[in-house]
Amino acid sequence: MEVRQRMITTIIKRDGREVPFELEKIANAIYKALQVTGNREYKAAEELAGQVQTVLEERFTDKAPTVEQIQDIVEETLSNAGYSRTAKEYILYRAERTRIREMNTRLMKVYEDLTFQSADENDIKRENANIDGDTAMGTMLKYGSEGAKQFYEMFVLKPEHAKAHREGDIHIHDMDFLTLTTTCCQIDIEKLFDGGFCTGHGFLREPNSIASYSALACIAIQSNQNDQHGGQSIPNFDFGMAKGVAKSYRKNYLANLGKALELLADLPDGLGTAKAIADQVRAEEGLDPILANDNGYQEAEALRLRERIDPALIERVQRFAVDKAHKETDRDTYQAMEALVHNLNTMHSRAGAQIPFSSLNYGTDTSPEGRMVIKNLLLATEAGLGNGETPIFPIHIFKVKEGVSYNPEDPNYDLFKLACRVSAKRLFPNFAFLDAPFNLQYYKPGDVRTEVAYMGCRTRVIANRYDPTREIVTGRGNLSFTSINLPRIAIKANGNIDNFFEDLDRKFDLVIDQLLERYKIQAEKRVRNFPFLMGQGVWIDSDRLGPDDKIGEILKHGTLTVGFIGLAETLKALTGKHHGESKEAQNLGLDIIGYLRRRCDEAGKKYGMNITLIGTPAEGLSGRFVGIDRKRFGVIPGVTDREYYTNSFHVPVYYPISAFEKLRIEAPYHALTNGGHISYVELDGDLVQNVDAFETIIRFMKEIGIGYGSINHPVDRDPVCGYTGIIGETCPRCGRRDGEPVSVEKLRQLGVYINYNSDSIGYTGDIHEEADRIPNPLDLSEAATATPTTTCETEEASL
Amino acid sequence: MINGSITTNARGEEVIGEGIKFERIRRITGYLVGTVDRFNNAKRAEVRDRVKHSLSL
Ligand SMILES: [Zn+2]
Repeated sequence: MEVRQRMITTIIKRDGREVPFELEKIANAIYKALQVTGNREYKAAEELAGQVQTVLEERFTDKAPTVEQIQDIVEETLSNAGYSRTAKEYILYRAERTRIREMNTRLMKVYEDLTFQSADENDIKRENANIDGDTAMGTMLKYGSEGAKQFYEMFVLKPEHAKAHREGDIHIHDMDFLTLTTTCCQIDIEKLFDGGFCTGHGFLREPNSIASYSALACIAIQSNQNDQHGGQSIPNFDFGMAKGVAKSYRKNYLANLGKALELLADLPDGLGTAKAIADQVRAEEGLDPILANDNGYQEAEALRLRERIDPALIERVQRFAVDKAHKETDRDTYQAMEALVHNLNTMHSRAGAQIPFSSLNYGTDTSPEGRMVIKNLLLATEAGLGNGETPIFPIHIFKVKEGVSYNPEDPNYDLFKLACRVSAKRLFPNFAFLDAPFNLQYYKPGDVRTEVAYMGCRTRVIANRYDPTREIVTGRGNLSFTSINLPRIAIKANGNIDNFFEDLDRKFDLVIDQLLERYKIQAEKRVRNFPFLMGQGVWIDSDRLGPDDKIGEILKHGTLTVGFIGLAETLKALTGKHHGESKEAQNLGLDIIGYLRRRCDEAGKKYGMNITLIGTPAEGLSGRFVGIDRKRFGVIPGVTDREYYTNSFHVPVYYPISAFEKLRIEAPYHALTNGGHISYVELDGDLVQNVDAFETIIRFMKEIGIGYGSINHPVDRDPVCGYTGIIGETCPRCGRRDGEPVSVEKLRQLGVYINYNSDSIGYTGDIHEEADRIPNPLDLSEAATATPTTTCETEEASL
Repeated sequence: MINGSITTNARGEEVIGEGIKFERIRRITGYLVGTVDRFNNAKRAEVRDRVKHSLSL
């Protein structure tokens, strides 16, 4: 018998370990490849494995082979034996295994970086600017999120969708939540409070004062945020809270009437009498004391007081109660709004690592109660948090509507002016324009549910193809959205517009297919998977389902949304100019976005779903696409030469242009992007000193057909002396530079150093601001008496 | 040194605020962020590049 030169006894695994050689493993791998091509003979596989072993023994006389080397020989052996199809299958099998292995390694590398790097060093930890990636819970969320993304990529997504996402043709947003939930919802707070609700941790009765109304509004936002991955919005905040104001007023009125009865009319139990009369009037005439004091309650009450006290005193007693109740209710409302703003900036959801992404829409309730809510919410926001800090949440959206809040003769015009003043200081409110034709078409006077409301960042849901009788904002939201990398399609088209549109078609079809796949997963969920969103009837029609019912049908009220990013770079790549630079580029831009909208409408019709188009809010995305494209196509001036692609349809932020021209160029895209849009202008200078200029721009937005807009301007604060405004190199109040100390004596002289004995920071509040704050002017006609200055010039941002 | 504690400088004056940075609130894709430090790299670049818009018609 022939003696072999050397037996292969061990092999070297990928991790470097040496393990025993097993011929059977090679035979099994070959057998799998043979099976794919229809060959089911294990014997053939064994023979081939034997040939592999022979080659190995010839080539590896003094060392053990590695796994990769063995696989090379398997490929070679299969080809030499004439199994060319099988060899190809084997190569594919190898490549797939390699990809999965690399992903596992990559995931572990991501985990390592999350574990040992701070947010300063690690971009993933800063992917979402409102999650603190340095906290334990923030990091835990990231482990989960990164692991989930890779799991879905490997095992859930269709391979072509995973590939397109991986390579940056498209971006599947919130992929870590792919199989779990939907994006966002507009919470109908009036409906939710009616009769009380359950948070999953206990039943909450219908609230009884503005303080409890505002506290419950926070809880509703927080509870719903735990059931979805996007933001939460209240579309009818003023109307919802107005009921709380009415209840507080009634209480305050009766308490004060009681006091007056005891003091002036010597009744032993004033409050008891006041309440007894109020209950009687409500039962017999259906009337309550109200802020407007015009419903006949006072007369009805006077009739009944006549039997109990000296009639000559009645007018005085009632006047006292009305005055006091008015003031106290105003104060209660301010405190409730102050607490709300504070809560929404400090309360956490999602395992404690994230503040809810909250938005409040308001501005059109013209009742005295609703107006009191709007005024005090704005004033509380203007005042800022405890130390005068600018509140980060909620996003405020002030609704601008002709006949309601836009023209000087409109009932809420004073509140619009106040909104401008507050936004000039605090960056919020943003402004929603109900008269833009694409918003006005849904508007039914007297039905707040038909007033367009935006989800803070820009999402818009109102049309309803699934149920055209329910074209309302309440109880609805986005299910998921996926964005197209427009600039890449343009780069690849090489200036050929026809090629561009052909490729755009293919990417669009891919995105629709992916969105529908994701919907199928979402549709299989049941009511009980969403204890608040569905369990408490927040989502439209969920109150008609039981806990074990599937939600697929009612989800059809929501939207599947196609997004896009980088219209500016797309136009640069196609024509050499962006839409801020040339009329032709603008026309092509409108063609492209108009085409996408038409394709969305067609797809919606075909599938019976609400399929909409959004100018993507691209927080994590703007750098990712351009990074991949620069690697692939190199640095292309005006296209891939910056660290980001321009947001949605915006004129690039670096391009000098007048505010009005920018808005004129962007407005037509608002009409096309029915899934959401926003336009910004950047202003310099202290806008608090120039509220008129601020209002002029907001009015221009309305006139030019913008749907949703806002003004950006610098808002800086020195935590040491409490100054809020624009801070350049040095603080205008205390004179210190960034990070440098200032003398305690100086702070004392300025009157901003209060806490003399503490060794912690001296500043405990802003005396100057607090002094400004005290009047809380009820007369809003003074709201915007600023003198126009001309500080709003084009200038590089100093950041 | 603890941020915000009182120290004495070379001239013997009591001083406060060493290491405390100015807050610069900026808006990023619709949300306000307290400091630019929390932005990811691309967004930091985008904020740096922003130019002001003039009010000329
Ligand atoms: Zn200062």
